[in-house]
Amino acid sequence: MAASSTAAVHKLRRLGKGVAFYALILGFCAAVLFPVYWMIVNSIQPLSHGMQFPPPLIPKEISFLPFITLFENFPVARWLVNSLLLAGMTTLIVLALAVLGSFAMTFLRWRGKAAFGLLLLMTQMLPEALVVIPVYAMYRNLGLSDSLPALSLVDAAFILPICIWILKNSFDSIAEEIYEAALIDGCSPLGALVRTLLPLSAPGLVAISVVSFFYAWNEYLFAVTLVTSPDIRPVAVGLASLKVMLDTPIDRVLAAALFFSIFPVIFYLLIQRYIVAGLSAGAVKG
Amino acid sequence: MSGAFHGSAPDGVWGERLHAPLMSTSGNIERMFQSATAEAVEERARQRRGWNRHHSLPYTLVFLIVAYLGVFILFPIAQQFLTSFSNNVVGVDKVTWVGLRNYERLFEDEDFWFAVQVTFTYMAFVVVGAVSLGLLAALLLNRKFRGRNLARSAIAVPWAFPEISAVLVFLWMCNPTFGVMNVFARLIPGIENNLNWLSDPKLAMPLVIALSIWKAFPFTFLVILAALQAIPRETYEAAEVDGANPLQVLRHITIPEITPTLLLMAVLMSIFSFKQFTLIWLTTGGGPYGGITETLVLRIYQTAFRFFDLAYGATLGVSGFVIVLGLTLLFVYAQQRQDRARRR
Repeated sequence: MAASSTAAVHKLRRLGKGVAFYALILGFCAAVLFPVYWMIVNSIQPLSHGMQFPPPLIPKEISFLPFITLFENFPVARWLVNSLLLAGMTTLIVLALAVLGSFAMTFLRWRGKAAFGLLLLMTQMLPEALVVIPVYAMYRNLGLSDSLPALSLVDAAFILPICIWILKNSFDSIAEEIYEAALIDGCSPLGALVRTLLPLSAPGLVAISVVSFFYAWNEYLFAVTLVTSPDIRPVAVGLASLKVMLDTPIDRVLAAALFFSIFPVIFYLLIQRYIVAGLSAGAVKG
Repeated sequence: MSGAFHGSAPDGVWGERLHAPLMSTSGNIERMFQSATAEAVEERARQRRGWNRHHSLPYTLVFLIVAYLGVFILFPIAQQFLTSFSNNVVGVDKVTWVGLRNYERLFEDEDFWFAVQVTFTYMAFVVVGAVSLGLLAALLLNRKFRGRNLARSAIAVPWAFPEISAVLVFLWMCNPTFGVMNVFARLIPGIENNLNWLSDPKLAMPLVIALSIWKAFPFTFLVILAALQAIPRETYEAAEVDGANPLQVLRHITIPEITPTLLLMAVLMSIFSFKQFTLIWLTTGGGPYGGITETLVLRIYQTAFRFFDLAYGATLGVSGFVIVLGLTLLFVYAQQRQDRARRR
């Protein structure tokens, strides 16, 4: 009798511990996700519900009006097209250069690798604000301001070093014998890169595509400085411009911001493993 | 793979690979030595001395990248250096060299030193906050339970969240009239009225720091969690046999094992916070007044684009560049420490 009751107490205590643990995890995640939740709530309820104090913590009425009117109120479609173009061009530039750079860092032998690695590191750490002024002056002199391709060149330069590290990590995990075998079969080094290394490093290529695409997608400082005409504004600048317009209905602003965030969140979460590995381990090997 | 087979490889690339100790990992070298026979080593050494047609390839590739970074990053930096020795202000008739005058001004400029102070305060809080919160979350999730992957993804969301979107919802939460932050604040005894949040000089900095930590800690969490999971099971088993309690295990095993990772994260977070522009600029703009949240990066931007003082802006930029150099060296040190720890 006594034995079974102590076993029951034991079991109960374990259960209690488990419940407490889950409560802790749940509470932590809820706190972390609250701003995201709040954004969703405020963009799917009628404006009047958000514009009262205290605001209801759980929406009392669902309305998709903000999402519908969002496209009428601001040129969201225009912004999205601009951002897609900008981010697409940035990604192409970064892909081309990062593949060559990581290849040189891993499979080729040459003098000055350490110096090159240090240069990449330093440029990666440079605040955008440190170069935005001279780049702005340069672009104005060359007549390149107000151009999305020109902006994508700057964005690509800033995200390139990190992408080289990430892809280098991916290349590092490929056995050298594979590269050697391609050379023995008569491939040139670049031919071996294209035929054997690239197909094997698909995850790394996807990772740097996502990183560079959403860097340009999210980037604000260069975009707001180098682009002045409203017609070619990317979403980041467009959204930020809503902040200063006092009479903008907040439900639509948050709906637009939510719409703008869905893509990066999905893609980042899908490839986070590769980015983390590239940034922590890949950089470590540098 | 036989030595003769290697010997027949064109262009002696093998030979080059063997003697690439500068950057390649120790593992690569070991692997190469293991697979190499004596003749192959000789053959490679012979080929290494010779010039071949692919010898220039790495230099061409690297030149391409350095030239590209040169145009958009190195050249602008060099230009900033030059501008800092001039009197270039938008509207000035004739730009001339003024020697070190801008630097003299820099040393006497109280606003500059205040911005440096703000920068380091902000950095210190973000680094400590992001690393400790990331560590806490990683320790919490470093055990098997149902729904762990879901929880991990949930915590990673802020990292993937665009800064602009984070700013917009944060501003709305901190709205003095309708903001949900006041709902929570009123739960604290003694707070009866709505707070002004970002326009309150006492609250502005803590809020900006909190937003930055929210945005940054998921990254440290992901990396620290990966480091925790790389600790071999046997390490823990020995401690369990010795009857160590969980706190002792944490203090004497877990933390020492991941110290290099924590150090690396601290450096990465200091870089993140030093670079940070968007989160501060779009929330407080450096205010609410007196530049109390104005970091060096914001001050550089303001000096050039608000006050049109390009020369002094460039001088501030050079001082920022010096800090970047210091951070880079710290980063290299942290990396090497982690690398050593990994090899051990």
